[in-house]
Amino acid sequence: MAPSVQFPGNVFFYLIFVSALVFFAYSAYVRIYLLLLGKPDLRLDRLWERIVSFVPLVLVIWRVIRPRYWYSGVLHLAIFWGFMTFQLNTINFFLEGFSDDLSFMSWASAPWLAYFPVMQAFEILTLIGVVMALARREIYKPPRLSLNWDARIILGFIGILMITDLFAVAFQIAIEPFSHSERAFFSNAMAETFKGTDVDVLKAWHTTFWYAHLLDFLLFLNFLPYSKHLHIFTAAPNVFFRRLQPTGVLQPIPNLEEQEVFGVGRIQDYTWKQLLDGYTCTECGRCQEACPAYNTGKELSPKEISHQLRQQLLVNASDLLPVPVLNINVTGERGVPLTEAMGFNPIWDCVTCGACQYECPVFIEHIQAIMDVRRYLVMDEARMPETAQATLMQLEQRGHPWRGTPLGRTSWIEEMGDVPMFDGSQEYLFWVGCTGALSERNVLTTKAIVRLLNQAGVSYGVLGAEEGCCGDPARRLGNEYLFMLQAQQNIELFNTKGVKKIIASCPHGFNTFKNEYPQFDGHFEVIHHADLFAQLVKQGTLKPQEALAQKITYHDSCYLGRHNNLYDSPRRIVAGLPGAEAVEMPRTGAQSFCCGAGGGHMWVEENPGKRINQERTEEATATGAQIVATACPFCLQMFEDGIGAVPEAAEREIKVYDVAELLDMSVAPASAVPEAAKADPPQGQSEEPVQQ
Amino acid sequence: MLHMICCVKQVPDPETPASQFKVDEATKKVLPVPGIQPVPDEYAILGVEAALRIRDAVGEAKITILTLGPEAARDAVKHALAMGADEGVQLTDAAFENGDSFATARALAAAIKKLEPFDLVLCGRQAPDWDVGVTPSIVADILSLPCITRASNVKVSDGTLQVERVLSDGFETVEASLPAVVTVSNELGEPRYPQLKQIMAAAKKQVSVWSAGDLGVDSSQLGAAGSLLSLDRLYVPVQDVKCEFIEGETPEESAEKLAAKLREEKLI
Ligand code: SF4
Ligand code: SF4
Repeated sequence: MAPSVQFPGNVFFYLIFVSALVFFAYSAYVRIYLLLLGKPDLRLDRLWERIVSFVPLVLVIWRVIRPRYWYSGVLHLAIFWGFMTFQLNTINFFLEGFSDDLSFMSWASAPWLAYFPVMQAFEILTLIGVVMALARREIYKPPRLSLNWDARIILGFIGILMITDLFAVAFQIAIEPFSHSERAFFSNAMAETFKGTDVDVLKAWHTTFWYAHLLDFLLFLNFLPYSKHLHIFTAAPNVFFRRLQPTGVLQPIPNLEEQEVFGVGRIQDYTWKQLLDGYTCTECGRCQEACPAYNTGKELSPKEISHQLRQQLLVNASDLLPVPVLNINVTGERGVPLTEAMGFNPIWDCVTCGACQYECPVFIEHIQAIMDVRRYLVMDEARMPETAQATLMQLEQRGHPWRGTPLGRTSWIEEMGDVPMFDGSQEYLFWVGCTGALSERNVLTTKAIVRLLNQAGVSYGVLGAEEGCCGDPARRLGNEYLFMLQAQQNIELFNTKGVKKIIASCPHGFNTFKNEYPQFDGHFEVIHHADLFAQLVKQGTLKPQEALAQKITYHDSCYLGRHNNLYDSPRRIVAGLPGAEAVEMPRTGAQSFCCGAGGGHMWVEENPGKRINQERTEEATATGAQIVATACPFCLQMFEDGIGAVPEAAEREIKVYDVAELLDMSVAPASAVPEAAKADPPQGQSEEPVQQ
Repeated sequence: MLHMICCVKQVPDPETPASQFKVDEATKKVLPVPGIQPVPDEYAILGVEAALRIRDAVGEAKITILTLGPEAARDAVKHALAMGADEGVQLTDAAFENGDSFATARALAAAIKKLEPFDLVLCGRQAPDWDVGVTPSIVADILSLPCITRASNVKVSDGTLQVERVLSDGFETVEASLPAVVTVSNELGEPRYPQLKQIMAAAKKQVSVWSAGDLGVDSSQLGAAGSLLSLDRLYVPVQDVKCEFIEGETPEESAEKLAAKLREEKLI
C-alpha cells in the first residue's frame, strides 16, 4: 500500500503533486507561448513519409546510433527505451498514490504482472545507460560535449528514479510479498537480503524510498523545461516536422516586396519550427565536430548557433510574454541584437556545406537559421565583409561574380567554334555557368564537356551571351531580393526558349535550378554532367580507352553529395577509366569535408584560421593520390589553390581535374592531354603511405 | 539645410574584357558588347558616398543627384538614390549628345545653377570612359567656385569645407569656403551597399528630366556643336609582345647571352 493513501501522507502527496503540476504547467505555458510567437511554417507535406519514418528516426533513434558514435548510441537506446517502458510504471505509481483500487494490480493484474519482469529488466538497462553516460562525461570527456552540471543533474534524476523504484518494490515485497512477486525478479532478490529485518524498519524504508521516488520524478519533470534535456519532449516533434526537401534548399521570403524587415533580426522573427530547433538541441556537438569552419579555427560553431536559438528566446522571454518569466539555467545576454548574439563573424563563416545538418541526430536546420541572419545583415543593415559586398555589387552590375575576368561569356565559344546555340529544338540546354565561362581554368572543363557531348551525340545547345547568373551566389550571400530577380529572369528566359531539360556543370546551379526554381514556379528536369556522362559510359555511348594509370581520389562537392545525394556517378566515371586506381579520403561521401567555397565563399575572404581548402588538400594528399577528381568548378579552383599551399602536394605536383576532363582524356585521345596527367607517377610516390 | 549636388554618370563597363572591346573606326564610336551592360562610374559613386558621409556627420542635408545622358543613364541615378540620396535630375536632350568636357560642363553648370541654393558639388575624379577628368574644373570655372580635386576625405563644419587631397607622394589638407566643387578619388574608401528598403524606395522615386530648353542654354553651346575638341581618330592600339627564351648550359652562360642580346637591342 502506498504511504500516500492515509493521513498525513495523503495531504503531503496531494500538496506536492498539485504544486508540481502547476509549476510544470507554468513552465510549459511559457515555452509553448514563446514557440507560438514564431512565424508560421506548415510542415505537413508528405505526411505519410513523416509517419513511416517516425519508427526508425524516433523509436529506433537511428541518427543517434551511427557507427561513429556507437557508444553514445548504445547508451541512448538503453536510457530511451528503458525510460519509455518505465512510464507505465509511473502511471501506476500515481494511480496507486491516490488509491489502491486504482492501481493496475487491482484491475489488470495479469498484464501488469507480465509487465513486471520486462520493466525491471529495462530499469537495469537504464541504469547501465546512465552509468555509461556518466563514464563518458567524467572519464572520456569528448571535446564535442558541453560538460556542465545540467547533464549530471539529469542523469542523477534518472538513476535515482530507477534505484528508488527497485528499492521501494523490494521493501514492499519484504514487508508483504504479493502474488507472483518473484516476477519483479531484481527487487525480489533484493528483498531476500532484507529477511529478518523488523517490519517497522522495513516500512520506514519503504516510505522513504516511495517518497524519494515521488520527489525525484516531480523534480525531474520540473527541471526538464529548464534544461537542454528538454529534447526528451521536443525531439520527437522536431524530427516529425523536419524539412523533407534536400538540405541545400533555402526558403524564399514570402511577399518579399511587402516586408518591413528582411530576414531575421530578432529572435521572434524565426519560424516556430526554428525556435523548436533551439529547444531540441541536445548540445551533443556532433554538428560542431563536422563543421569545416569550426575545424579550421573560425568563430562559427553550429552547436553554438542552436544553443543561441534557445538562449536568446529564453533570456528575452520577459519582454515577449505577458507573465513574469523565471530564468534558470539561461546564459545568454538579454537585450543584445540577435546579430550580436549569433556573432557577425560566425554568420559569415558558414560555407553552407550541410555537414552539421547531416550529423545532427534531431534534424536541426542550422543553415537556414544562419542564412536568415545573413539576409538581415545584408538586406536590412547592409553590413557584410568587404569582399561579400564587392561580389554582390558585381552580381548586380555585371550579372556574374567574377570581377576582373579577362574572358567574356562567349570567349570559349569563339575559341572552340561550332557550339550549337539553344533554340528550343534541342533536347538539353547546357548551362555553362559563370565559372565555366569566365574563369580560365574552368573553361577547360567546359570544353571537355562540350567535346564529350558532341562525341556522344547528345542533342544540346548553349545560351552564349544570353546566359546570366543562376542566383546561387546572391542567395547564399544573403541578398534574397537579387536572387529572386535573377531566378525570375532565368525562368522567363527558359520558358520563352522552350527549355525543358538542363545539363548543369556546376553543382550550385544544379541545386538552384532543381530545388529552388520550383519555389518561383520554374519546373525543369535538371541533370548534372557527372550523372549524364556516367549514364553514357554505362550505355557504351562513351568508351574510355586511353589508360590513365594514376591513383585518383574523388572529392565530393557538398551541393552534389550531401545536398543532393549524388555520390555514385562521379565515382563510376573514375572507376571506369582504364588503369585508374580510385582511393578514398577518410572523410568521404556524406561525411565529406567542404572545399571551402560554398555559401558564396568562393568570393568572400575567409576569416583568420587555417584555410579550409588547405585542410582538405592535405587530406587528399595523404591518400597518395596523384589526381584529385572533382565535379564542381569551385572545388576545382579550391584544390588548385590548396595544392600551392600544401608543400607535399606542390612537390608531388598533384593535379586536379573535373571528372569530365578525365573522361575526355580517356575517351578522346586526340584532344590535348595535359602532360602531367599522363606522365608516370613521380619517383618514390609508390612508397607513400596509402590511406584508405 | 546643407544642399549637396552629386554628378554621376553611366559608363561603358571598364571591366569589359580587352578581347571583347571593339571600336568602329569609321564612325569613331565604341561598340557595345553583347551581354555587357553599362555601369555607374565608380568615382562618381564615391562622390555620392562622400556626400552621404557628410550628411551622416552633420545630421541633416539634402543630396541631389545630377546626370547627363540618355534614358539608360537613369540607372546611375537610381543607384545613388538607393544609396540614400534624396532627389534625382537627369539632363536628356539630343542637343547634349557627343559633347566634349566643355560642352558637358556648360550643361551641368546651368543645371547646378537652376538647383540653387547649393553648398557643395561633388564629382568623381575622372570617368573611365574617356579618362579626361576636367569637366568638374570647368564647371567650377563657369560657376566661379573654388575647385578641389582628388579628395580622399571631405568634411563640412561651421560653413567651411575641409578636404584631404591625394598627392603623388602623400596627402594634403586644404580648406575652402562654400559653395565649392570637389572631385573624389578612390582613397575615400568603399561606397556603401544600399539597403533593400532604400532600393525599393528608389525604384519608386521620380527623377526629373530636363532638356536643353529647361536650362536656358543656347544649343550652339552644347553637345557636338559646343565642343572645342574634335575626335580625329579612334582605334585600339596594337600591343605586340614577343617572348624569347635565352638558353644556356650554365646560369653564367645564359646571363652572358642575355646581356649580349640586350646590348644588341640597345636596351643597355
Ligand atoms: S553548413 Fe557547414 S560551415 Fe555552416 S555551420 Fe554547418 S557545418 Fe559549419
Ligand atoms: S544542433 Fe544537433 S548536432 Fe548540434 S549540438 Fe545540437 S543536437 Fe547536437
